[in-house]
Amino acid sequence: MQVKIVIGTIAFMLTMVILGYAALVEPARLEHFSEAAVARQIETGAEIYKNNCASCHGVEAAAQQCFSPSGEQIACQGLPLKNQRLVCGDRPERLDDMGWVGSKRDFVYVTVAAGRGRIMPTWSTDFGGALRNDQVENVTLYILNFEGEEFCSEPPAPNYEWPDTGNANADYEEFTAEWAAGDPDRGAELYNVNYGCAGCHGGDDSDASWAGTGPWLGAIQDNAPLRNPDLTTEAYIYESILWPSRFLVTGYTDGVMPQDFPNRMGLDPDVTPQDMQDIIAFLMSR
Amino acid sequence: MATFFDQVSEMGLKQATITKADEIVERLTAGMNISDIRGAFRGDEPRRPNPRLRPHSDGFWMHIRPSFYHTEVTHIYPTFRLGWLSTFMFVWETITGIILMIFYTPSPTVAYSNMWNILSNVPLGQLFRNMHRLGAEVMVLAVALHMLRTYITGSYKKPRQFTWATGVILLTLTALLSFSGYLLPWDQLAYWALTVFLSGAEAAPAPEQFNANVLLVLQGAPSLGAAGLLRWYLFHVLLLPMLLAIFFFVHYYKVVLYGISLPPGREEIGEDTAKRVPRDERTYFIPEVFTNEMMWTALVTLFLTAGALWLWDAPLETIADANVKPLHVVAPWYLSWSQGWLKLADKTIVVGFIPVLLIAFIFYPYIEVRKSRRYADRRPELTLAFLFIAFMLISNWMGSPEYRVQSSPELEISGEIMPEEGPSVLKGVPYDELEPGTYFPGQVVPGRPHLTRALALFEETVERRACTSDGSQPNLDPCEVLGVDSWGNNFTRNALPDPYIEFRIEQAQENMVKFTLFFESIHPETGDIFIQTETHDYRHEDAFYEEECRFFNKNC
Repeated sequence: MQVKIVIGTIAFMLTMVILGYAALVEPARLEHFSEAAVARQIETGAEIYKNNCASCHGVEAAAQQCFSPSGEQIACQGLPLKNQRLVCGDRPERLDDMGWVGSKRDFVYVTVAAGRGRIMPTWSTDFGGALRNDQVENVTLYILNFEGEEFCSEPPAPNYEWPDTGNANADYEEFTAEWAAGDPDRGAELYNVNYGCAGCHGGDDSDASWAGTGPWLGAIQDNAPLRNPDLTTEAYIYESILWPSRFLVTGYTDGVMPQDFPNRMGLDPDVTPQDMQDIIAFLMSR
Repeated sequence: MATFFDQVSEMGLKQATITKADEIVERLTAGMNISDIRGAFRGDEPRRPNPRLRPHSDGFWMHIRPSFYHTEVTHIYPTFRLGWLSTFMFVWETITGIILMIFYTPSPTVAYSNMWNILSNVPLGQLFRNMHRLGAEVMVLAVALHMLRTYITGSYKKPRQFTWATGVILLTLTALLSFSGYLLPWDQLAYWALTVFLSGAEAAPAPEQFNANVLLVLQGAPSLGAAGLLRWYLFHVLLLPMLLAIFFFVHYYKVVLYGISLPPGREEIGEDTAKRVPRDERTYFIPEVFTNEMMWTALVTLFLTAGALWLWDAPLETIADANVKPLHVVAPWYLSWSQGWLKLADKTIVVGFIPVLLIAFIFYPYIEVRKSRRYADRRPELTLAFLFIAFMLISNWMGSPEYRVQSSPELEISGEIMPEEGPSVLKGVPYDELEPGTYFPGQVVPGRPHLTRALALFEETVERRACTSDGSQPNLDPCEVLGVDSWGNNFTRNALPDPYIEFRIEQAQENMVKFTLFFESIHPETGDIFIQTETHDYRHEDAFYEEECRFFNKNC
């Protein structure tokens, strides 16, 4: 019996030592697990992004490579999310642009949950979307996780500065002098796929009876002089893409045409403005 | 009676305090004063009348326990302490369960985040969760072994038939308790295990309308959701423990009433001498049995605490999602036999057979009434027992992942080394060894031992599930043609012919990589590309898998 008392006492003391050890390392473990919890949410978020968001915001969240469910490349309807102006710092520019007074996390969360503007749909089941709120949270954490030291310390890429003096003819002259002549075939691709213009303005199979969200552009060479006789057709297209509010076709509402083409087409100042030349060349060739 | 102050003035402060303390201890123990207790544990002979019997006659807690046992049943054999261990585990589960209850809300919107809160925000939360879940497994095992022992020593025979019947009910309740706790984390593991279990209710051999109503009662709604979680929570914390406590007290009352049966060889055939204990064969509860139980309490607590801290970690998968069915839904090991049975017979027959089996168990001692408990006289019964054990082990194996219904071989390979859930061979590699690049099964990557080991395991998996039709991959078995577009090797009848497999690591974000497993298979006859598939997963720097992998129950 004495042996049993000794064994029991030793076992009890060992248990206490183990519990003491567990208690000592507990604060570090809790911190570790908090990080792990977020890390696993981000992993889940990446999966959700791939399945739900990448078709508009691009596979690398740069709004560059968007694919339809069947695997064809399509226009990226969304904005780039791997974007210093959205994810870097406590108060990125995007919040001010949108007049958002809350936190960055809340901005992204609310945007995903409740949608934004005309194209971004609502995603939370609270608003009729497809994702549970924990999934919205996961995808939010994934997007905010683009804020990396390396990415955010890169100097922000300056956008191309579009000539803009208010005189579109002169502005277009200045612009076109700087860039190579447009390639209508590439322009067709950009119009139909990359920028998705065809969705609102009609594609190759549309005709004058087009009743889409935007005016039909199939006969823009004939229509442009009638609408704004002061401008050349090219200058008219140039102005209408970059600053759509400056001239409205009768019967169409201001603000429907996205206002972010100066940014999208000027994203890489050495490359992307050529898209403008190509699209104009395509429209002029129709 | 003299007050304490009178005693102080009479015999001085010191002596009065000692007398008072003695009196209090005697009241608390219902009969033993301090020197009685010290004497008992020192091994002294008791004074007369024996104060060590009074707690049993006058005290509430001790009156449940007998004041002495037959010395023959106080050794490890024949009881192996399994009944005691089962009781201990029930108390253990109650204590750890109540602690977990404080941090848990049975609602699908918060239950899963409660789990992460327990893991990342509650001091010692992970330890208590592991203790509770490890305890549940040990309890199921203890109760099952207790029943097996009772059968083998013939202790279910007259007059203990009713004790045995309540024991079968207790075993069923234990399994149900363990299984009902399974759902509460509301993760994929929980959700799909219960969904499969509930689909059994639908298949029961009863009128369709009856089954539909049983299902409705069990899940509270047409599909498993908030109402179902609340119900299973209440089953787990209220209904089942209450039933278990009721049957436990009936069971234990009968154990005390009839005494623990002696080893079969120690009494005459047909006699039951457990309650007729000669004086020199008595082992008193105080101090011997009590000391013994305290020692086992300390040892089992030590084992469970250390096990929950270092050896065994309760799994937690991603949040339950009714739209995402895992590649394989696997029952917990103690119900794995039921999945095995589904491969032997129709679901309705299996679901109908389980209650029949339980009823057979309950009534067995009333049917098998041969008197002798001796092993030599019970060869048919013991043979039956071992055949049943063999049957259950084989059924369990048939229900295990080794024997499950296979999907396509490339998905099986992917599911084995990079499953959707939890740590795995590939996700368990430390992040700093995951340099972006393309790797191949079996590749040796200098300076990165964990990645090399993972790729070696990857190769082993491929070797088990792939074959070569022209001998160009000498490490693979030759393909055996089994049918149209179907090949086998020495391990499986579901092999991937002539595979080309890549493991790609890409940088997805600065602190996260994307895993891609790329599978391509050339059709041995036509030479065309037959299968071309990719599976993906993500691995974040802080996701902690490599540390989870140190537990023995993780598949890394």
